[in-house]
Amino acid sequence: MPVGRELLDLWRASGARSLFVVGIGKNVGKTVTMRAVYDAAGAGDATVGLTSIGRDGEASDAGDGAPKPRLWLRPKTVVATARDVLPRSPASELLDLLNLPTAAGDVLLARVAQPAYYELVGPPTASGVRRCVDALLSRCDLALVDGAIDRVAALAGGRDAIVVAAGAASADSMNDAVEQVRALVQRLGVPQFDPHEPFRRVDGALTPALAADLIAAREPRQIVVRDPTQIALSGKAASHALERLRLRCERPLHAIAATIASIGRERTFEPKAFARAVAAATGLPTFDVYAETRAA
Amino acid sequence: MNYGSLLDAAGAQALAFAWLRDAVAPAGDYGRRAFDRLEPFAPGQEAAAAARAASIAELARSLPLQRIDALREAFGAAPDALGAIARASMGDALSDAQFLELVRWGDAVRRVDVLLAGSAQAQPVAGEAFEAVMAGIEPGRAGAFGFYLGDAFDERLREARARLAALQAEFDAARGREIAAVAAELGRDVSTDEFIVMRSDLRGSLPLAVRVLREAPTYVLCTLQYGAAALAALERRDAAANAVAEAEETVRRRLSSLVRAHAAALDRAAAAFGALDVAVAAARFAAVYQCAVPRVEADAPFEFAGGRFLPLALELEVQGRSFTPIDVRLSGIAVLTGPNMGGKSVCLRTCGFVAMCAAFGLPVPAAAAQTPLFDEIAWLGIGSGEERLGGLLSSFAREVVRLRDVLERAAPRLFVLIDEFARTTTPNEGKALLVALIERLRERGACGMAATHLSGVARAAGSEHFAVKGLRGIPQRPPTEDLNEALTILAETMDYRIAPVGAQAEDRSDAIALAALLGLDDELVARAYAAL
Repeated sequence: MPVGRELLDLWRASGARSLFVVGIGKNVGKTVTMRAVYDAAGAGDATVGLTSIGRDGEASDAGDGAPKPRLWLRPKTVVATARDVLPRSPASELLDLLNLPTAAGDVLLARVAQPAYYELVGPPTASGVRRCVDALLSRCDLALVDGAIDRVAALAGGRDAIVVAAGAASADSMNDAVEQVRALVQRLGVPQFDPHEPFRRVDGALTPALAADLIAAREPRQIVVRDPTQIALSGKAASHALERLRLRCERPLHAIAATIASIGRERTFEPKAFARAVAAATGLPTFDVYAETRAA
Repeated sequence: MNYGSLLDAAGAQALAFAWLRDAVAPAGDYGRRAFDRLEPFAPGQEAAAAARAASIAELARSLPLQRIDALREAFGAAPDALGAIARASMGDALSDAQFLELVRWGDAVRRVDVLLAGSAQAQPVAGEAFEAVMAGIEPGRAGAFGFYLGDAFDERLREARARLAALQAEFDAARGREIAAVAAELGRDVSTDEFIVMRSDLRGSLPLAVRVLREAPTYVLCTLQYGAAALAALERRDAAANAVAEAEETVRRRLSSLVRAHAAALDRAAAAFGALDVAVAAARFAAVYQCAVPRVEADAPFEFAGGRFLPLALELEVQGRSFTPIDVRLSGIAVLTGPNMGGKSVCLRTCGFVAMCAAFGLPVPAAAAQTPLFDEIAWLGIGSGEERLGGLLSSFAREVVRLRDVLERAAPRLFVLIDEFARTTTPNEGKALLVALIERLRERGACGMAATHLSGVARAAGSEHFAVKGLRGIPQRPPTEDLNEALTILAETMDYRIAPVGAQAEDRSDAIALAALLGLDDELVARAYAAL
């Protein structure tokens, strides 16, 4: 079965109507993953909405000019994107002005009328992204969001499914990439707290300083944050805290799968080994969207 | 809304200018543009100020609050289309988003015209030119809120799109066949531009259409080349896409010309729309706070009945208390005395607030009022928030510097509110300074009020003397030490009204009774009474 179809099935099985693809860094295959799921959804009769936390679908990397995967969208797809990057031709059906500013103009909601390449530029704020997702879901069956690891706050307050994307472009070694994705999945997968057991609620974010204090104090109770986006720790600091503290949340998030991109511009990882390592580290179904394979 | 030279920063803070600005702020972009240019009326513009206040009050009377709120919703929802109008005026072809803004603005204008029908502002914004533009764009309306440069605009556009769709299908089929052939040879799906083929999965060599981008020991990174059939189809598709782009641009240019031809009328409509937003906001202020139209005349005394300082009135309302409206009549510089916490400062602020509202041509928060216009409303005293020179100046020195600035500005028509000037220096010299100041201000023809605890100022300066009526007896201390309860007892015991008193009237402060009410111990209070 094509990888996109498998991811779509996992998404549907989760019961969520929105899917965030969150990568551990840049150029780790988020857009390719999103495109695979989008294509699979399009094979059925579901209407799909797309937006981005940041910028996606551009022809080339703004930093080094290298070509990037583009988004060829079919008619009836709805996008929430900045007005200045909307293709002038073919014309899109404009549905709404969302009054959410970005560097490329305010975000608007548009329906694809003729197939074309689209670029997605979403709002810079978490609340803005949520507004985009809500607007898309009011007009579509499913909403897909191209995400970013440093902007997971946008996941707060939603009932989204999450696919994490790991790639060779964002780490010096395969071990490093695997560690990053393990920490991200652990952080996103913090379980719901048990109200019958002792707990200490953290108002706001769990910062590195607060986590250090709690570890030093050998805090035995459940440490409860509103949701995993409130855990302001990443990489090894996150893994360390998760090992030593009983971190819990009120509203858990749902990571449903991982994808890998073993090809980076500067380095490549052995695809099968990388996929197996990510699957073992995360416990998630793991797919190579370039090799069209699932980790055994 | 700018206070210009009517106030300085300290006066604006003391008289809650920001509160008033927020209370009369329009709901939408067009109104905000007009609102940002709003300046107070100056002496000589009394008729215009009075007319504005009257028209706002008339609008408030003619519109139920529910309709005012519906109007504000319409103003707030209207996107700013002025950028689009300006771009069209410059000869640019507008974007579809700009046409959508025009459509949505047009809807808002029509809604506003409907909501205002039968009101005191029944003159519609939408004129003939406006309707001509909206009719031109109308075929693009998509659904309730949308816009699409649809086939209805131009037959050539329809034809170009039909051709593009056919050629896109032809290209998709050709490319699909190539991809399917490669997928069949590889025995797997190919759905990305770049894909990996594991050497272990490879049976024989790679298909001819596959180009290798990078080789590794266990896999090869590939891309799929276009075959001759797909390339030819792609060329035809791209040519058709260019034809669609040209046809779309032709329609955009035509619609933009229509906007350009009526740009002046659209600008006027936008200005009228903004002015209405500002007027409706002011009408809401007048209706919600039950304001009255002041008589504004150059030689009128400053006078109001039932005046309220709205920011405090609302704060009290939230606390379950009420503001006692006051009556004031000033024809020069008057002296105001009264007990601590009796509302002297609030009386001054009420005077300033009423004068400020009138200066902006607004109905005023009073049952009735008359006032001239002033070049400056100056606030001297407590709550000015003046921190200039930081800690280098004492509070007395700051007062003196502010006074010096006000006197140097020499506004021809000055309304001055003096709150316990010189309260931090010796009573003897403080009183002398205050008397001298009142005399100087009177010589300049200023109007205003000086609140003070200093004894005999009105008599020495030969001024009118007003006093807060004060405590109706000695308030009883609450059984608990609760400050809020003490304040409630105080509010019930205090008569906050202002009344003229004779020049020989005895100044009261009720300070010892208030100190007792607020929890000072009995022994100390008894000693204070004994020492009085």
